[in-house]
Amino acid sequence: MEPIPRKGTPERQRLIDTHKACMDSMKGVAGNSVLQCGTPGDTTIIGGGVHADPVLKRVLLRMRGESPKGKLIVICTKVDAEWRIARLSGIRGVPPEFVDEIVYTDEQEIQHAVFLMRLEELSDSYGFPEDFHEGWKRRDDNWPVT
Amino acid sequence: MTTMRLTGYADKFGVHPGDTIKFYVNCDGPAEYKVEIVQMINGDTNPRGPGYIDRPVEAAVNGTYAGRKQVIHGGSYGYVPDARPFNVESFTLQCWIWPTAPKTHPRYWKHGAQGLVTKWSGDCGYGLFVNAEGCLELRINEHRITTGVPIRDHAWHFCAASFDATTGDVVLYHEPQVVYALDPEIPPVTASLKVAVAPAPVPVALGAYVEALAPSDPLAASSKPAGVIFAGKYNGKIDSPRICNRALSRAEIEMMKAGAQPGLTERRNSGPTGKLSECIVAAWNFSQGIDTIHAKDEGPYRFDATLVNCPNRGMTGYNWSGQNFDWKHAPNEYGAISFHDDDVDDARWASDFAWTVPETGVKSRFYAAKLTTADGAEDFIPFWVVPRIGQKTAKIAVMVPTISYMAYANEHVACNAGGAELFIYRVPIMQQQNMFLSEHREYGGSIYDTHTDGTGISISSRLRPILSIRPKYDHFLAQAPWQYPADLHLIYWLETMGYEYDVFTDEDITYDGLARIENYNVIITGSHPEHNSGPQLDALHNYTQRGGRLMYMGADAWYWVHSFHPAYEDKGRGVVTEMRRCESGIRTWRADPGEYYHQGTGELGGMWRFRGRYLHSVAGVGMSSEGFDVSSYFSRTPDSLDPRVAWAFEGIGYDEKLGNFGLVGGGAAGLELDIVDTMLGSPPHTLAVATSAGRHTEAYLLVMEDFGFNQQGLDGTTHPRVRGDIAFHETPNGGACFAFSSIAFCGSLPWNNCDNNISRLVKNVLDRFAMDGPLPAPPAEAIKHRGRADYDPTPIEHRSRKERGEPLPA
Repeated sequence: MEPIPRKGTPERQRLIDTHKACMDSMKGVAGNSVLQCGTPGDTTIIGGGVHADPVLKRVLLRMRGESPKGKLIVICTKVDAEWRIARLSGIRGVPPEFVDEIVYTDEQEIQHAVFLMRLEELSDSYGFPEDFHEGWKRRDDNWPVT
Repeated sequence: MTTMRLTGYADKFGVHPGDTIKFYVNCDGPAEYKVEIVQMINGDTNPRGPGYIDRPVEAAVNGTYAGRKQVIHGGSYGYVPDARPFNVESFTLQCWIWPTAPKTHPRYWKHGAQGLVTKWSGDCGYGLFVNAEGCLELRINEHRITTGVPIRDHAWHFCAASFDATTGDVVLYHEPQVVYALDPEIPPVTASLKVAVAPAPVPVALGAYVEALAPSDPLAASSKPAGVIFAGKYNGKIDSPRICNRALSRAEIEMMKAGAQPGLTERRNSGPTGKLSECIVAAWNFSQGIDTIHAKDEGPYRFDATLVNCPNRGMTGYNWSGQNFDWKHAPNEYGAISFHDDDVDDARWASDFAWTVPETGVKSRFYAAKLTTADGAEDFIPFWVVPRIGQKTAKIAVMVPTISYMAYANEHVACNAGGAELFIYRVPIMQQQNMFLSEHREYGGSIYDTHTDGTGISISSRLRPILSIRPKYDHFLAQAPWQYPADLHLIYWLETMGYEYDVFTDEDITYDGLARIENYNVIITGSHPEHNSGPQLDALHNYTQRGGRLMYMGADAWYWVHSFHPAYEDKGRGVVTEMRRCESGIRTWRADPGEYYHQGTGELGGMWRFRGRYLHSVAGVGMSSEGFDVSSYFSRTPDSLDPRVAWAFEGIGYDEKLGNFGLVGGGAAGLELDIVDTMLGSPPHTLAVATSAGRHTEAYLLVMEDFGFNQQGLDGTTHPRVRGDIAFHETPNGGACFAFSSIAFCGSLPWNNCDNNISRLVKNVLDRFAMDGPLPAPPAEAIKHRGRADYDPTPIEHRSRKERGEPLPA
C-alpha cells in the first residue's frame, strides 16, 4: 500500500505541486480530474497528473476511499460562484458541518485545499496493521461500499 | 447557506390539455409565495453556456398564495384501526424479527425505541418494542420490562411476551435463531405486575407505535390515517406477528408460530388447535398478498393491516431455505416485511393550487410551476403537457425518461457513501438540495441510495418533492446537469433550432404502448434513459419494426428492469416504481439472496440483459463503461463514409474532432458510454460511424457485466472497450436508429449558440428521420448476409483507418 508521504519530504512537495498545476489547468471546467490540460480549460487533450505519477494516483485513491464519518466534502453555497469545505457526519440525518469560514470562488482551488488538508490529517500508518481496529471486521472501513 | 423553505410536487408528471394538475407546496416560514407557470428552456447555469432560461406562460393559476408548512410522515409501518378485541386484559404477543439498526447513534435522526407489535400510546396499552438501548422490551402502560440484552443486528430472533392479568405474571422471551459459541444464554425474563392494561384508544401498529392523536393539528393531516402520528418506526424485518388474548404457555406460543391455520377441512375455527383458536385476536400472514399494501390477518376478526409508505415485501423470512428464489413459488418462506424509517410512498400533502391546462394554446413541452418568495426562496415543480392519443401536434416527439428521474429521485450518494469519491475522481460537491435532504431523510432517497439503516432502496414514489428534478441543479456525478436538467440541453437545442415537437413521459408509453408513439416520424430520447419498463421496451421495438425512427441521445439506457407497483394505480399512472438491484450491473447496493423478484409485479428485477433483453438490441448500442471526471470527443470512422449514412455528416469534415467542447465534462464523449457489440444484440448491419476510443481517463472503467475475472487493465487508459461508438442502423419498413452513445453528448448541443459540429450532426439526422414516409432504401448491395462474430476482414470497407491510409486526426 502506498504510504502517505511524510511532511517536509520532496515527494510530498512534488505531489502538491503536480496537483496544483492540474487543478489550475482545469479552471473554467465544470468538474475536473487531477490531470493536466494541454490547453488550459480544455479537457479533451489531457495527460500528466495521475496518469503520469503513480504515487499521486494511489495517495488520491486512498484519500477518496475514506469512510464517510468525518470525511471532507465540498458544499456549493452559491451556484457557480461560492464553495466551502465541510465534513460529513457519517450519521444519517445529521448534515455536513463547515470546517471553517473560508469561501472559495472556484471549483478547482477548493479541490486543492481539500487535498492539502488530507495530507495533514492522514498519518503515514493510515491503512497499515498498526492502525487495525475492531471496525475493520465490521465494514467500518467502508472502502468500496456505496 | 440558505435552507430550502419552499418544496413541492404535483399529482402528475404528464397532463393532457383540458385536464387539471394539482400542486402541493410546503412553504416553511414565508407568509406567501408567488406561482408562475413557465416553459422550461434551459436549466444549466454553467457560465460557458446560455444560462438558465424559462419562458412565462399565461395561466389563470399564476398569482400569490398563502404559505403553509407541510411535512412528510416518513417511515413504513402497518396499522389496524382500534377495535374491541384488541383491548385485552391478558395477552401474548409474538413475532420473528431481523432488526437492521436495533441500537442507533444518539444523534441518529430517529434515535429511540422502535415499535414491533404495539397497541400502546402515552403510557397506556401494551406492546413489544426494541428499546433505545437495542434490547427487547415489553411495555404495559408506563411499565417497561426488558431483557437488558442487546439484540444482534442482521440476525433472526424469535420474540414473545405474555401477561396474565389475574396473576400479574409477565414473561418476556428473546430467542436468537443463531447462537454462536460465545453468546451468553438469554433466559426468559419474568416479572409480576399487578396492573390492569389501560385501553389505549389508538390503532394497533406493526413496526411503529402511536405517538399522539392529533385530529386538529394541520401537520398531522398528512399522516396515515390522518390525525394519527406514529413514532418508533422500526428498521428491519418482522415475520408472523400474533396477538392472543391470554397468557400462553411456552408450548402454546410454539404452536402459535403456525398461525391461524384456517385451511383444515374438518375444523372451521381458526387456530393451530381448538383451544388456541379461542384466544386469537390477530395472526398476520405477510406471505399473502405480497403484491398489495395490505397485510392479511388469518385470524377470526380479519384485522388486515394497511401498510403505509410501502415497506419491502417478498422478503426472505426466518424460514427461507435457499431452495426457491422467487416469492411466487414459495410464498410461505417469504413471510417477512422489511420496514425502514425513511420509506415514503406519498407525501399526502393538501393541494395548494391547481391548473386546468387549456384545450388549446399550450404546446406540448417541458413546464414547471415556478415558486418564489419575496426574500429569495425558490423552487420548481416540473411537469409536461402531453397530447392525448391521436392528437399529436408534431412529427417529432421527445420521450421524457421519467422512470429514470424517479430512480435518481432525491439521491444521497455523495453524503452517504464512502465510495462516491472513488467513482467521480474528485471531491464531491453538494448543493443546497443535497444539504436539505441530508437532514430531511423523510423526503426519501433514490434507488441509488441505501435506507438510513443501510439496506438498499428499491422503491421510488413521485408523490413527494423530488429536489433532483430541478433546474439550476448540478449532480455530483457529473458536476453538471444530470437527467432532468441535462435533458433541458436537448430542449434548449430544439427550441433554438426552431423544431416543433411533442413530449410524453415513460408513464405514457408504458400504459399506452405503441399507440402513444406510432404516429410520430421520430422519437428522441433523453440523455440517460437507464430505467425502463417492459411495456416501454416492447413499444419501442414495435415502433422501429414498423418503420419508426429512434434517436437515442445518450448512453447507459435500457439497463434496469422497472415495474410500477399495481397497488398505487388508483393514484395515477406510474406513482411508485420498483427495481431490485440483483445479479450484475453497476450497483450501488446489492439485493440479498432470494430477494431478486419485484414485490409489485413478481417479475425478476436487475438488468434487462439478464432477462435476455440485451441493451444493444433497442437502438444498436449498449453500455460499455463509465467514468465521471472529464469528457473527450469522437472521431469519424470509415463506416461514416458508407452511403447508407454519409448524409449524416454533410457539412462535417472527415477529420473534424466531433464535440471537443461541451458543458458536461468539457466534451461530447463522457460520463457513461455505449458501444456497438453484435454479440450483445447490435444488429449485424450496424454502422459505428464515430468512436472515442483511446481518449478516456483512468477514471473510466469497463462495466462489470462484461468481465468475469477481476484483473488490471479495465480503465480508459488501457481497455479497448472503454469508448463510445456513435452508431446507425436501419430497421424494417423504412425505419432506423441513430445512437449518440454518451451521456455528455447533449451537453455539447448548446455550445456556441448551437453552432457546432455536434449540433450539425444531430440536425442532419433529425431532419432526415422526421421526413414523412419510409426512409430512402439503402443501396441494393447493402442487402447481404452478415454474421454476428463472423465477418470478412479483407474488403477495404472492413479495414481500419490506418490500413486504409487515413491517419487519425491529431
